[in-house]
Amino acid sequence: MSAPATDKWKTVRAETARLLTAVVIALLVALAVIMLTSKTPVDTFRTLLTGPLTSKRTLGLWVDEAAKLTVTGLAFSLVFQARQFAMGVQGQVYVGGLAATLVALSPVGTTVLGMPLAVLAAMAAGAVYGFIPGYAKAKLGANEIVSSLMLNYIAVYFITFVVRVPLSAGPGLMQSADFPPASMFAVLVPKTRIDLGLVLALVAIALVWFALYRTSWGLKLRLVGHNARFAEYAGIKATFIMVSAMTASGALGGLLGSMYVQGQTFGRLTYGFEGGLAFEGILIAIVAKSRPLAVPIVAICYGYLLQGAEIMGIRTDVPTEVIAVVRALIILLVASSFKLGLGSMLKKLVSGGAKTGEANAAEAGR
Amino acid sequence: MQPLLEAKAIGKTYPGGTVANNGVNLSVRAGEVHAVVGENGAGKSTLMKILFGIEQPDRGELLLDGKPVRFANPRQAIDAGIGMVFQHFSLVPSLSVYENVVLGSEPRAGIRFDRKRAIEEVKALSERFRLSVDPLPAVNSIPVGQQQRVEILKALYRDARILILDEPTAVLAPQEVEELFAAIRSLVAQGRTVIFIAHKLPEVLEISNSITVMRAGKTVGQVNTRDVTEQSLATMMVGSEVTLRVDRAPTARDRCVLDATAVSVSKDNGKPACTAVDLKVNSGEIVGLVGVEGNGQAEFMEAISGVRAVASGSIRIGGTDIGAMSVLQRRHEGLACIPQDRLAEGLAPGASLAENMVATRLDDKRYVRNGILDLKAIRNNAKGLIDKYSIRAAGPHAAAGTLSGGNMQKVVVARELSERPEVLLVSQPTRGVDLGATQFIWRSITDARDAGAAVLLSSADLSELLALSDRLVVFYHGEIVAMLDNSDAVTPELLGAYMLGLKRQSHNEMKVAV
Amino acid sequence: MNDLLAAIFSTGFFVTIVRTTTPLLFATLGGLISDLAGALNVALEGMMLIAALTAVVVSVYAPWYVAVLAAVAMAALFGALMAFFHLRLKADIILVGFAVNFLAAGGTVFALSIATGGDKGTSSNLASKAVPAIDLSFLDGIPLVGHVLSGLLSGHSLLSWLALLTVFGLWYFLYHMPQGIWLRSVGEYPAAPEAAGIPVNRIRVWALVASGVLSGLAGAQLAMFNYVGFTRDMTNGRGFIALGAVLLGARHPLGALFAALLFGMFEALSVVLPSIFTWIPSEIVVSIPFAVTIVALLLFSYRAMKARQMLGGA
Repeated sequence: MSAPATDKWKTVRAETARLLTAVVIALLVALAVIMLTSKTPVDTFRTLLTGPLTSKRTLGLWVDEAAKLTVTGLAFSLVFQARQFAMGVQGQVYVGGLAATLVALSPVGTTVLGMPLAVLAAMAAGAVYGFIPGYAKAKLGANEIVSSLMLNYIAVYFITFVVRVPLSAGPGLMQSADFPPASMFAVLVPKTRIDLGLVLALVAIALVWFALYRTSWGLKLRLVGHNARFAEYAGIKATFIMVSAMTASGALGGLLGSMYVQGQTFGRLTYGFEGGLAFEGILIAIVAKSRPLAVPIVAICYGYLLQGAEIMGIRTDVPTEVIAVVRALIILLVASSFKLGLGSMLKKLVSGGAKTGEANAAEAGR
Repeated sequence: MQPLLEAKAIGKTYPGGTVANNGVNLSVRAGEVHAVVGENGAGKSTLMKILFGIEQPDRGELLLDGKPVRFANPRQAIDAGIGMVFQHFSLVPSLSVYENVVLGSEPRAGIRFDRKRAIEEVKALSERFRLSVDPLPAVNSIPVGQQQRVEILKALYRDARILILDEPTAVLAPQEVEELFAAIRSLVAQGRTVIFIAHKLPEVLEISNSITVMRAGKTVGQVNTRDVTEQSLATMMVGSEVTLRVDRAPTARDRCVLDATAVSVSKDNGKPACTAVDLKVNSGEIVGLVGVEGNGQAEFMEAISGVRAVASGSIRIGGTDIGAMSVLQRRHEGLACIPQDRLAEGLAPGASLAENMVATRLDDKRYVRNGILDLKAIRNNAKGLIDKYSIRAAGPHAAAGTLSGGNMQKVVVARELSERPEVLLVSQPTRGVDLGATQFIWRSITDARDAGAAVLLSSADLSELLALSDRLVVFYHGEIVAMLDNSDAVTPELLGAYMLGLKRQSHNEMKVAV
Repeated sequence: MNDLLAAIFSTGFFVTIVRTTTPLLFATLGGLISDLAGALNVALEGMMLIAALTAVVVSVYAPWYVAVLAAVAMAALFGALMAFFHLRLKADIILVGFAVNFLAAGGTVFALSIATGGDKGTSSNLASKAVPAIDLSFLDGIPLVGHVLSGLLSGHSLLSWLALLTVFGLWYFLYHMPQGIWLRSVGEYPAAPEAAGIPVNRIRVWALVASGVLSGLAGAQLAMFNYVGFTRDMTNGRGFIALGAVLLGARHPLGALFAALLFGMFEALSVVLPSIFTWIPSEIVVSIPFAVTIVALLLFSYRAMKARQMLGGA
């Protein structure tokens, strides 16, 4: 039917317009900061915007980073769809990386099973690490924000200890021994970092999308996220769904861990290998409205910006970290319900707003 | 003598189309106790919200001391001397009585909150107006009757000249009602004016000087209390229009499908909602639960659907005791439920129609096999139901929250009826629903009945109950006080008398009806 | 073992505890105020970090007290910013909080780099100042207990004493001043103060700004006493531990004091342990406060749930 297609298209256009406005604002603020602090502001801004395109290597870095951002974006999207605020992806990445390392450095690691088993181990470890705050919330009502953040710190410190002492490749080295080639991800595009991890990210997108929109579990999860009370009326066990959502999200975090340690990026377990990327998933999920098919698009665009900032930090006199301003502003603006002239005009053209009177009145009365 | 407070031709329509007030007049003299009575949905609370500045009228005007006034927010109404005591109290649970009374206008000693003075002032106030309450304990530890006094003291502390009490006796035990009346009399003796909204006619007749009767958003009469009787008041309240009746084919009502025996259910606060209720519903009949809201029907229905636990008694469907069963299990036994608040309990507004329509049957092999959704089957199911129930929506993919109230209700009805339930629980099916959808929903309910379902219908709309029910059961104070076969002899006035506690059937009369 | 006991029961350990507790206590009080007003501030971490850097940079060019004031002002500004996005633009308070945390994490490194002319790790090439310690060594003169008293009480940061005062000040505010009662009502049941004409949103704004002020003091203590100078990520999760302390302290200022002391003690232990038990890896030691926070959170939630069940069933 053409009617529903144009409806959907219109909403997508309206939402994209709002998002672009937010990005433009954020970039303008970044430009202002650059102009204040750089001796060559124009050059610097140009590097920020075009850096990733300069060489095959930078393009490769961009693609690889987009793949990783996709996975963390998917992990956060799952929990956000169930309306939970679990922030534990970083911890899951580290324990997942550790689990993959243990398999890779074991006798199994040199066999053909090494690579797949390591990935599975990583996902399992991540799942357990995601389960813990979920279970604590379900059984004890413990705040999942605090518990998941604490677990992050513990995981990071523990892995730091592991690479310094038991698995250290040598005195003074904060990294494990290199993985045997059988446990590593094959390179897809030579002379770049693009490896099997990209394929795994694509598979993850498909799996998460399928789970959310084609399985009864996914439907239950989304219904619980929409209206937990109605879900109970319909006979859906909300607590079980919440815990399983956090566990599944943990598996994705673990997968990301294996992408780091088994990928071309490292090929070993090393100190601080994740570099804070896990938390970017929050921004990705918010901007993508927790939709699995939108996550890779956001990841590609945001990955581009991140890469640009990285290159800018190397080649110009402005540090990479200026991107933190962009990051914070995008989250703030996308999470707000502000009405810019352009945004509200578009909305009026589209469908007179998404909700009709009764839903609005009910919300107003709440 | 000029009235102290007047409302002239007040009109108010909420966004979404609900017409709450449509030509409401009110005239209150200083120093009197003025009652405003009417059925649920008559528009009383909207009028009160307008008087207190929570809502603004679309038409009409308010006059205070003969001068036009307009209250944009409660603060302005409070400053003008109007105080309101809501049915749902606005008290901070962990704060003490005196802290709640003086909240926002605390007496101070420098920058410090002068607790001693606050306690003294509250004690003095409570003595002066015969509203005795201990100022010290936390509000969440005192009984409801005392909490209400705290609310009244709050208004008096701000020098309210006019006190509006919204259904104050709804939450009180008989002795507490007497104490409240003593307080009201003393308030009036000291020059205040009291407006109170009520259901219970004997109380209205006891305490008020004049009465305004509302029905369907209009004022239908303003009388002096000494000029009316309970019966004449009841007539004014429920009206005597010819009621619509839907043609109901006779059915074989041979099987007892739903059997509730000595069911007692408690409210959230632990007090009993209904006590030892016996009710049998046969296949192919609609039993209408009549009663003013708050007399136990809602909790009774929740106990049958499984959302609320039963304190004692048993419930059987088709002979099977369902007491220990979960909601989903009861659905497997053939139970379907149209809840009273479709947005909060009946739908997920952000999900699509197709998803909403299949939400209760996610373990049905037609839609879900091995955990995988059969999207085509789900979509076709939705399309079929949309056609069958003439639901106006963009399609099965449309978000449920984008529909109008009537269409949303149709979605709920379609979902619940599509599985040919054995037992159908229906609450307020056409509340906030336009006429066209109402007819449709009525037809769907009677179709379910014709197909053999046992239907339990709870509604605040008497015309709806009279139109659809084969039998009528009246709830009053948590008990069934009347059981009647629906016929032309059953008029709104008769039902009103039972609903308001004026009449009561004997045990034998009820047995005959069953 | 003996070494451990000797270390713990020394006046020096107590001094260490006071030092570690001070920033935690300020942050916890800041979290408490925002939580009681119904707008939980999860950006304590970021605000502390921003305040720490501000204090360090300003103190290079101005006296220490100006630096502290600047830190406080900066953090308060972010509190106001959060209030704007949450109350005016209706963004979820948790997301707003995390946005501030992200801004702080990257922004402080950025600003540090600019201020130090390229050093993104520490401010070691900046001559930043310290908050003075209060010397009470005259207590030595008291017979019998003088030495112990002076050992326990002398040498603490000015801000530590301020923190203690703030506990009582906050308690007085919340329970003996009308505005404090308003704040608690706003967080507990906003319909009531609203009906009484109290400006609910304005109170939430002040609560967020106040939590900024307190986080600012925490950051100042961290970068001008516990350490002198700024290191990237120096708050290291204290802002989140503070959130745990808010819950553990039963949402009361005195409870906050005890909870913060508890976590401060474990942080102090993590400082002392390595020199006694040299075989314990530093990472495990540093993890102790986080593990303790989780355990405390779980225990407290369990107790709170049991209490709710008992009330509900009555």
